[in-house]
Amino acid sequence: MMVWVKRISLLILTLAVFIVGVTYLFWMPSPQEAPYQLVKTWGGKGEKPGQFNEPTGIALAGNEIFVSDSRNTRIQVFDLDGNFKRMFGEQGDAPGQLNRPMNLTIAGDELYVAEFFNDRIQVYGLDGKFRRSIGKAGSAGGEMSAPGGVAVNADGELFVADFFNQRVQQLAADGRFIRQWGTTKKTGVLDGRLNYPTDVAINSEGVLYIADGYNDRILAFGPDGELLHRWGGPFAMNIFGPFNSWFATVTGISIGPRGDVFVADFYNDRVQKFSAEGEFINAFGIESTAPTHTAIAVVEADDGSVFVADYANHQVQKWQPGE
Amino acid sequence: MRIIQFVLIITLVGTGYSFAAGTRYELRVDGLACPFCAYGIEKTFIQTEGVESVEIDIKNGLVIVNTVEGIKFSEDKLITIIDDTGFTMKSMSVKPR
Repeated sequence: MMVWVKRISLLILTLAVFIVGVTYLFWMPSPQEAPYQLVKTWGGKGEKPGQFNEPTGIALAGNEIFVSDSRNTRIQVFDLDGNFKRMFGEQGDAPGQLNRPMNLTIAGDELYVAEFFNDRIQVYGLDGKFRRSIGKAGSAGGEMSAPGGVAVNADGELFVADFFNQRVQQLAADGRFIRQWGTTKKTGVLDGRLNYPTDVAINSEGVLYIADGYNDRILAFGPDGELLHRWGGPFAMNIFGPFNSWFATVTGISIGPRGDVFVADFYNDRVQKFSAEGEFINAFGIESTAPTHTAIAVVEADDGSVFVADYANHQVQKWQPGE
Repeated sequence: MRIIQFVLIITLVGTGYSFAAGTRYELRVDGLACPFCAYGIEKTFIQTEGVESVEIDIKNGLVIVNTVEGIKFSEDKLITIIDDTGFTMKSMSVKPR
């Protein structure tokens, strides 16, 4: 009897070690490059130029960085060393005015701003001059409920993370509805459903990446709409955690100049870097000492520097690849 | 005479206060650290008739809702509003302003 108990115990132990080993190998990958180095931060809480009150989005055009300064209801522009250049936007709901700008995208010579409170996408020239507005409040095709992010493809079509409508919409440049991912107003992890999508990005091949916020995962769809990749914890099934390639609420996503995918992993206070296919490459960030968290949006420059909108500390972080 | 003046002032101030007063609701909600969540709750309350202002106290996990004079919300209504934003209200306290 004792022999059987020992054998069964040994079998259970062996199985446990095997499962832990497989889990470690497949779902906790190691970094593929040297650690990133934090080289600079700038900002701090306030209303003066160069200060922030809850930065929530970041984008880059040439040698200029655009930051959503959400509670100050403005966009601020800096050079790559953090020197303030200009700002625009004022609180309101008239064309050109802002209310809680979130994730940003730059396409050509235009800045696209997802406006959480005004339920629309606003488009500005890089000089800050208002050009047009797309969408209005609602849940019909082309309408929005608290858009969190936007991407633009080579044809000028928009992809909008329609946060409270639980979908990502593809819209023509004039705002006409084309199609959507997710089921309007229905959350879920299966059957193509989303769970509070926060941001989107599109690469040069036309692959759409969705930050499926509260499902703690990334979904990648080809130009025909088919699912190509998904990742984030075991089976990308809304299992959150602090390990490499796991997430705890993804709030921002962007594609770097070399096609890498950068994800703001908010509750883990870090950015994670992946290949276009979702293979883990690296992770870096500043742990939060505040009641809230740090990395909310991210963008990579041509020279490999990575800029992070740091929500908890009301600042921008600048990172560079390690040697 | 001074006593009458004093009583009159106190009465007027007191009356004025009660005319201006609304209600302050402190709602305990988990998960306010993410601005997508906090802004969503804030936005929903701002669009609710009778709400004068909304504050988010992340440190204490509170949504503080101040109403205009004469407007009061039932607990069920507040629970529904929080539910609609994808969250659950853990508890609430009500204070006159």
